[in-house]
Formats: sequence, structure tokens, C-alpha cells
Amino acid sequence: MSFLNSYIYYVGAFGLILIGLYIILVKHNLIKVIIGLGILDTGVNLFLICVGYVAKGTAPIFSRPGTDSEHMVDPVPQALVLTAIVIGVAVLALALSLAIRLYQHYGTLNLRKIREQKW
Amino acid sequence: MVDRMPVLLIAVPLGLAFAIPLFALFWKPAAKYIPPVALGFNLVVSLLLLAKVLENPLIVSIGGWRPPFGINLVAGPVGVLFSAIIALVGLLVSVYALDYIKEGATEKYHTLYLLLLTGATGVVLTGDIFNLFVFFEILCISSYALVAYLRNKAGIESAVKYLIQGAVGSSLLLIGIGLLYGLFGTLNMADIAQNIKSVSPISVFVPMVLIITGLGVEAAIFPLNAWLPDAHSSAPSSISAILSGIAIEVGLYAVARVIFTIFGAQSILPFLALLGILTLLVGEMCAFSQNNIKRMLAYSSIGQIGLILFALAIATSYGVTGGLFQMVSHTLSKALLFLTVGYMIYQTGSLQISALEGMGKKMPLTCLAFTIGAFSLVGLPPFIGFPSKLLVVRAALATKETYFCVLIGLALLGTVIEGAYFFRVVQVLYFRGENNPGREEAPVAVLIPMFIFVALIIVIGVYPKLVTDVLNSAASELLNRLDYIRSVLG
Repeated sequence: MSFLNSYIYYVGAFGLILIGLYIILVKHNLIKVIIGLGILDTGVNLFLICVGYVAKGTAPIFSRPGTDSEHMVDPVPQALVLTAIVIGVAVLALALSLAIRLYQHYGTLNLRKIREQKW
Repeated sequence: MVDRMPVLLIAVPLGLAFAIPLFALFWKPAAKYIPPVALGFNLVVSLLLLAKVLENPLIVSIGGWRPPFGINLVAGPVGVLFSAIIALVGLLVSVYALDYIKEGATEKYHTLYLLLLTGATGVVLTGDIFNLFVFFEILCISSYALVAYLRNKAGIESAVKYLIQGAVGSSLLLIGIGLLYGLFGTLNMADIAQNIKSVSPISVFVPMVLIITGLGVEAAIFPLNAWLPDAHSSAPSSISAILSGIAIEVGLYAVARVIFTIFGAQSILPFLALLGILTLLVGEMCAFSQNNIKRMLAYSSIGQIGLILFALAIATSYGVTGGLFQMVSHTLSKALLFLTVGYMIYQTGSLQISALEGMGKKMPLTCLAFTIGAFSLVGLPPFIGFPSKLLVVRAALATKETYFCVLIGLALLGTVIEGAYFFRVVQVLYFRGENNPGREEAPVAVLIPMFIFVALIIVIGVYPKLVTDVLNSAASELLNRLDYIRSVLG
């Protein structure tokens, strides 16, 4: 159990990543695929946070008295996640607006039925 | 002042891109004149820098934070060479777009176009791996939107495919970057490269595979290239030219930078060479069986990417020089082909190759430019494709390893297929159809950028010495990772 205790966040992050990938690969409905992309993004973000997390750590504010750097979380991954969230929002918004257009053209969101272009 | 100039290469187009909607409020045509101005500025600055960085790479630390703590730009020969090519091709294509893009939300087109090129310039100049990811996303998101610009059935469908595959690729890249940060506690590429030997090879292997797979989606390495033929054939022709000529090259640059500089991974190169040849053969064979001219050109891009990847994977100074030369030659030739085909499609209203019958007499100048681009891609002298392909073949033979010699034999087989389908199109252009149709040449504003491409293709083809010096020092920057580390970390 001690393994699970120390790595529980990584297990969760990679669980989310795998669930997201599974949805993207298996589901036929474009909206579900976009939800899968969202879950995949969340998993990646959680993973990045885990990399810099210190158990019971505080925010890295040096001017506050009574905290030492041993118990501060690493701020760099949090900055990365902030950027990654913004990028994820842009991609999801674009994907949803394309889904609306796709529905207008084809009358369906089933990706298996939309097959005009082939190799 | 000169020391700070690489920042301007990113800041000026980025700022002007977001100024476009503002200017367009007051004067609508301003939207289409801003991209040529921004890219012309970039071209001048890149050429000024090029002479300087050939002696010493220029390291710019943003905000005064010294590397490895801050984000830094590395303007070495590779970065400035690529930013010059991006600015040159972008400038010519934006001049072409002045006349070509008439319908739809034109100011959005020009904003996204400039953002795409900003992203590409950022990728080649940055020295920070997360920064590379961010610029890559700028490039990708604007190209997803531009593929769907025409809002027709095919465009939307291929944009959706491109977006899903691209987003998964970016996530894999980000996981890889996260793992690297976990291992080394730094995001600076030179700093990671310096410490890469301090951990066990197995723990470096997983992030390397994730990063190469993530970048490989954008670089269209087989089997990650299912999006490319759809996206490149459904986008407006000016965007196809940029996607084929710049976006995938930038992806390949990133792959090369990661393998050579960060990981110094010699052991996976034979595998990449094999992937390159597979990509080449798959691309050329699919191109051969196409009836749609733009799809044919898109598959031919896959083939060329394969050849470039193979040349880079040889990893001798000859091989990398050949790979970079092939990139330059592919960028110029393929951009020219897409631009000419754009106006032929405009005239005939059809994407079928058979619809192009008799165009040789209808649009003689456009068809001449197409023929030169096609001959150059196949590798006929005196065009630029000839010295670049020759260099790749010589590099493969100079290794004296059976493995590379067999693979280059297969690559030459691919070139024969390439010749077959390009000659077929040229034959349709000139020797089919009625004899005396009226002349309907493309407008002069469009012919000028086309013939600048033609001039570059012929001039560099006749005097390859013009570029080989730059390419040689770029190749040695990619291969000498110790010099790179020393110049960044001091």
C-alpha cells in the first residue's frame, strides 16, 4: 500500500490520460471525442502538477516568515499548467466550433459516417 | 542593439498579427498589406543576423534572467537560416494572397496567417523546451483554423481530423516535457543536454519516444501522417503552400533538434532512417495513384519529408547538410507548385488532373512555373532539386554502410515514381486538349511571387555555393551538441 500512497497522484494522472486516449480512439461521436480530448488534457495537467508537488507544501512565497524552502512546492510546473490550460481551452473551443460546422454540412456527428476523404 | 534583434523576429509579427483587426476597423485593405510588411521586416533582420551568427551564435536571455533560469532564444546558424526561409516564403505567399484571398473573413485569414508564421519562427529560435511547445501550439492552432477557412465540406472534415490528431500529438509532447522536467528540474534545452548522461538511459528513453511521437505528428512521419493529405489538399492553396513548405519542415527541425542536441541519441538513428524511407515510399506510391492534383502534391510532400528524415538520420556532416539543403529545395519547389496549382484550379474550377488539359496554352507562364517546380522536385538539373538530392545520395554512399546504401537505392526508386507522376501532369498540361483556346493568364501580382520562386530555384540550382556555406555551419551546429551547450550556458 505504501507504493499507492506515494504515487497515488501519478496513478490518477495516467489513469485520466489513458481514459482520454481510449475515448478518442474508440468513440464514434465527435462530441465524445472532444470530451476525450478534454479528459486527456486534464490528465496531462494533473501529471505536470504532480511533478512539482511536495506533500503538505505551501506556496513558494519567500517574504512570508516561518516557512522554509523545504516545504514549498515547485512553482515552475504550475506556470506550465497555467499555459497548458489556456492552450487546451483554445483547442477545445476551436474543436467545438468545427463540430457545429461539421453538423451543418453532414447532418451527423458520427465520424464513421463522415468519410469523403480517403487515402 | 544587434544582440537583441532575434526578439524582434518574434515580437514584431506577433504584435502586428493582433493589430490587423484593429487597423481593419479603419481601413479594410490594411489587413492584407500588414503581413507582407511584417514578413519583409523579418526577412531583412534575418539576413542581417545571418552574416553575424555564422561566426558566433547569438544567445538572448529574455527579461535579463541568465540561462538556465530564464527563457532564452538561440539564434545560431540553424535558427536564423530557418527564420530567413520562413520570412522569404511567407513574404512571397502573402504577396500572392493579396490577389488570391478575396472571399470570407479576410482579416481573420491574415491574422491567422501571420500567427502561423510567428509560431514557426518561435519554434526555430527558442532554446527552452516548454517555449518550443507553446510556439508549436501557436503554429498548430492557427493552421487548424486556416485549413477550415473555406468552410466547405472537405475543409471542415479535414480540419477536424487534423485537430484531433494534432491535439493528441501535443499532449504526448507535453507529457514527455513533464517527464524531462521531473528528471532534470530544468526546461532549458542546453541544460537538459548537459545532464542527459547523468541518469539511466531507460528513464530517458520514455520521454524521448513521447516527444518524438508528439513532434512526429506535426512533421508527418509515417505512420503519423494520416491528416496531411486531407489538410493540405482542402486548405486554400496559399495555406497549402505554407503548410507543405514550412509547417512540416519546422516539425522536422524540432525532431532533429531534440534527437541531436537534447538527447544525443545515436542509437535510434538507423530506425529513423528506415522510417524515413518507409514514409518516402508510402508517400510516392499514394501520390502516383491520385487523380486530384492537390492531393497528389500533398502525398509528394510526405515523400519528400521521408527523404529529408533519411538524410538527417545519416548524421554525418554531409548527411545533415544534404537534409537541410533538401528542406530548402522542397520548401521553394513545393510552395511554387501549390501557388501555380491554386490559380489553375481557380481557372478550371476543378481539382481533377484531367481538367488541366490544354492549360499549357491557356496559361503559358503559370504552366512554365509549374513545370520548373515539378522538374526541380524530381531532381533534374539545373534546378535546386538536383544538387540537394545529389548531396543526399553522396552522403549515403559515403557512409560505406550496406544499410544506408540499400536504403538510398529504395529512395531512388521512390524518385523514379515521383518522376512518373510529375511528368504525367506536365504531359496533360502541354500535349492534351484542344489546340487554340483563348489565353487567360493569372494576374501580374500573382505571377511576380511565382517567378521570384522560379528565379531562386534556378539560381541556387546553378550556383549551389550560394547556400552551402550557411548549410554547412547549420549542420555543424546540429551535430556539435557540446558547442551548443557551451555557447548557451557559457
